[in-house]
Amino acid sequence: MRLIGLFSIATLIALVLQTTLPRLLPLGLFVPDLVLILAVDLGLRHHGSLSAAMAFAMGYATDAFSGSQLGLNALTLTLVFLLAYWLARSLISTSVVIGVVAVFAGVMFKDIGGYFVSSGWSTPPDLHTLIPPMLLQATITALLAPWVFGVMDRAARIIGLRQRAARE
Amino acid sequence: MITIGILVIISLHMLSTGVKPDGRASRPSLLLMEVLRPFQALESALTYGASGLVHDYFDLVGVREQNVELRKQLAELQSERARLVELQVENRHLADLLELKEALGTSAVAANVIGSDATGLSRSLVLGEGSGDELRRDMAVVSTEGVVGRLIAVSSSVSRVLLIDDHNSALDAFDQRSRARGIIAGVVDDGLTMKYVDRSEDIKPGDTIVTSGMDGVFPRGLLVGQVARVSQEGPGLFLNVEVKAAVDFRRLEQVLILTQKPVESAPDRKG
Repeated sequence: MRLIGLFSIATLIALVLQTTLPRLLPLGLFVPDLVLILAVDLGLRHHGSLSAAMAFAMGYATDAFSGSQLGLNALTLTLVFLLAYWLARSLISTSVVIGVVAVFAGVMFKDIGGYFVSSGWSTPPDLHTLIPPMLLQATITALLAPWVFGVMDRAARIIGLRQRAARE
Repeated sequence: MITIGILVIISLHMLSTGVKPDGRASRPSLLLMEVLRPFQALESALTYGASGLVHDYFDLVGVREQNVELRKQLAELQSERARLVELQVENRHLADLLELKEALGTSAVAANVIGSDATGLSRSLVLGEGSGDELRRDMAVVSTEGVVGRLIAVSSSVSRVLLIDDHNSALDAFDQRSRARGIIAGVVDDGLTMKYVDRSEDIKPGDTIVTSGMDGVFPRGLLVGQVARVSQEGPGLFLNVEVKAAVDFRRLEQVLILTQKPVESAPDRKG
């Protein structure tokens, strides 16, 4: 329950920021994907069915505020969770740098995969023009990741939520 | 792994069956929109209304020579002025919308923009009005500058509009000068494109593009934008037409939702 509570509140805050920041700042495509950072944090530190369901729910919540296809973010965030989970299981230790790399890869995967799916499962003709802004968005999000990981770590400690180490 | 597999299947099912944003499976997402509404509305109020107050206040703090009472009075006056200027701007926007509503001759509801899309790839806006204000899915959303988009999700007091520059958006439009018809769609790295314009059509940069009224969503003759570039690359059947949208979607504060469906009408062909 503590896991659900913590990540639900964090997701709501992230969504409010993601839906309001672009109107305050000229961010365009470069909206930092805070919810994705949370999904990576889940995959790296909180394993189990509940965490996977939480990642799915976070994606579904993002779908409520993005695009016109329900399920797109639910799918991509579940797969990003799987990527982070696999990294945590495969590597001896999961440092912040691993998290940052996972976030960067996650944003690229989510953006390209999401665009591929929303284009009707076909390669979109203008994909090459999207790569530079996607790389920039992934970089911005990855740079924010250590800060988000730190906040989530502190919040988890405060509420006494047990965080699993890699290979546990 | 089993859980992840099940969740992936569920999300793939939602995608492949094309669950509509107002379908049964989307009810929790509509509820979520309602939950976040106060926060987004608060941010919106801060952005449009109170930011002037905060800036003015901080400017005054720096003037140390003035006595405290004068500073306080000045701050109050500045705050009042900022509030009045903001009200004046809002009033002008609403008056313009009212004028547009009368010009369109259709029933419409004005709504405030309270949020934008949660990701960078899609283009949508969150509006502070919903089904309680007689809004329904697929209603046309316009502003004084031109076409904005159509409603894709409506809960009781919040709704979401898919902008015409989203890559999944499509609207029937035509060139006002040559009457060449095409489909206006969004381009992910910003801007609009007019698809399926035959190579033989006479279409030039600077031409005005307006809605045709054939899609059953937008009334005929609403401004979409202007042709920015026309090219004929490759052996394809169609022209590549880039269109600059008439509306600056990032600066939208108030919009008008047309609650009455348009009557279909075909654009006249030249010659």
